Amino acid sequence: MENVIQAEHLVKVYGAGRTRNVVLSGIDMAVPAGALIGIMGPSGSGKSTLLHILGLVEEPTEGRLILDGEDIYAGGRADSNRLRREKIGFIFQFPNLIPFLTAKENVVLPMDLDGVNEEQARQRAGELLDYLGVAERADDLPEHMSGGEKQRVMIARALANKPKMILADEPTASLDAERGLSVMGVLRKIANEQRTAILVVTHDTRMIGEMDRIIHLQDGKVVDRPVGGAA
Amino acid sequence: MNLALKDIGYHRFKFFSAVGGVGLMIMMVLVIGGVTRGMFDDSSDIITATGADLWVVEKDRQGPFVENSAIPEDYYHAVEVIPGVVHASPLVIAWESVARMPRMTPVMKAMYANALFTTQTMTEPGWMNMQSAQRFVVIGYKPGRMGGPVSLIAGRGIEADNYEIVADERAGFRVGERLRLKYHDYTVVGLTRNMVGFTADPVLYTTLKEAQSIVYKPDPDLLRDRRARSEQQAMLREKSLAPLMVEPVARRADAIAENTHFVNAIAVKLAPGAAVEDVKKAIARWKVLTVYTAAQEVNLQVMGSNRLTIFQMSVLRVFLGLIAAITVGQLIYTFTLDKIKEIATLKLLGAPVSRINGMILQQAILMAVLGTMIGAVLEQATESYFPRRVDASSGDIALTLLAMTLLSVLASLLAMRRAMKVDARSVLGV
Repeated sequence: MENVIQAEHLVKVYGAGRTRNVVLSGIDMAVPAGALIGIMGPSGSGKSTLLHILGLVEEPTEGRLILDGEDIYAGGRADSNRLRREKIGFIFQFPNLIPFLTAKENVVLPMDLDGVNEEQARQRAGELLDYLGVAERADDLPEHMSGGEKQRVMIARALANKPKMILADEPTASLDAERGLSVMGVLRKIANEQRTAILVVTHDTRMIGEMDRIIHLQDGKVVDRPVGGAA
Repeated sequence: MNLALKDIGYHRFKFFSAVGGVGLMIMMVLVIGGVTRGMFDDSSDIITATGADLWVVEKDRQGPFVENSAIPEDYYHAVEVIPGVVHASPLVIAWESVARMPRMTPVMKAMYANALFTTQTMTEPGWMNMQSAQRFVVIGYKPGRMGGPVSLIAGRGIEADNYEIVADERAGFRVGERLRLKYHDYTVVGLTRNMVGFTADPVLYTTLKEAQSIVYKPDPDLLRDRRARSEQQAMLREKSLAPLMVEPVARRADAIAENTHFVNAIAVKLAPGAAVEDVKKAIARWKVLTVYTAAQEVNLQVMGSNRLTIFQMSVLRVFLGLIAAITVGQLIYTFTLDKIKEIATLKLLGAPVSRINGMILQQAILMAVLGTMIGAVLEQATESYFPRRVDASSGDIALTLLAMTLLSVLASLLAMRRAMKVDARSVLGV
């Protein structure tokens, strides 16, 4: 199965000399399309840094990162804005919707940034909101929506540009168990139906059941390799 | 999708209250500039409106608008025959008070109350009581010659000595109203506009003869007393004078003293192409006269009488402009700071830098343009309520708009710099 993202010997070092801090020391991992992967680990284990590097908001000190067949840093500086826009969707712990845009406009936004025709973008946004069960909230501002609804709108936004990969940062942490499981169910459905690779950083062990694999991080290293993983 | 407008729509109260505040500041900048220009206009219009090229005044005096000047009336005949002179007009120009309550606009009343409040600790009780006397600039001219009202907004002009006046509208008179000026009652037969002295006192036009009577004719009681004194002094001084000669000599002295045939200046119109310097030299041969060009006379008034006030207003305007600039810059910057989280989200979603900068720039320019427009509208709407002329020209407004636009671009550059420093990772908690 083709990997959507592949990391080879990722190293991230902050500072130098006495202040040198190795946060990631040689991470190898690969995530195929349609996989729902959990990233777990204690505080300071390097989860955030790994998420930042996979989300192209931070560059690794060493190593290779291949996203959808493209070796990101092979040609020097990557056009990370474009790659994020086209290939990655983000879901946050707290639903960071743009407060001055309606639910539909929030979903239209990534397509608008990518230059998609407005009519097409609106149509797709409507379909996505419908797919996630929040179509009736299309014209509401985020402040008038519940936490679960906002989370679903955010998932719809993450799907807007048909990304190859979705990075979810504690997507269930601000929800109760029932809503949390519901969100995980949605992510599972997306992975299965849309063949999107989904990486979920979570502390919530109740969600483990939905995952295909779990990557455990400790002191910047993968300590428990996923069963049958490519890493 | 225009993010700038969407954001403004969502934060409309915040944005438009900021725009309103900017508008009020711009209004004040325009008003201060308008007052300064108004003072300049008040000082110059009264001179330039006559159409005179030269002003002839008493030797070493600065002219009738700045200080006292008195020359015999009939000099104008001699001036008029100098080659290059087309026309000479004798003028009486003097400040006179009339027992009349000044016209109070609502703004003036508010200012008066404010002045009472702010000066209460500086003055003796009663010092700020409103005086029931209004000061005017009386201009006497010969009908048909230069120096009269240039245009009328109501009524008619003056054609002969008939105790009539044409008043500037700011005097608050209506056509047909009567007022007492020295020893006679005068009827307001016409109204003119924007004719005030550098002190902003409205002009009252009347005929030369009547103005001379107002300005130079002594009080009859004072005249009787002066005659008695003249006789007494003549007798004391001229001991050798035959008793029968005392009265005629005293009368002659009084006749000289009672002579009202003086003017304060002669306005001169030159023939097209006439050499100004040649005419000035010819007039200056009279050792008792000094000649100024119209521009010099304006300059004497503006830079003489009003110099410090105009300088002070200009400094005030600069400071107010700086305060407005800093405040607008701060508002734009703060407006961006309030969106840091949204900017971080946009960056994470892969928004191009130009899109984020465009949003900041559009909002900044919109705030500056709307603020300036509101300021200009408020300034124009309130101009007539101010006690002095406020003359903010369209050029002033255009310049302010340009300055505000440039300033908003500058402020938005700082805001963009801040936005570019926003770390997209800040929305990825973990």
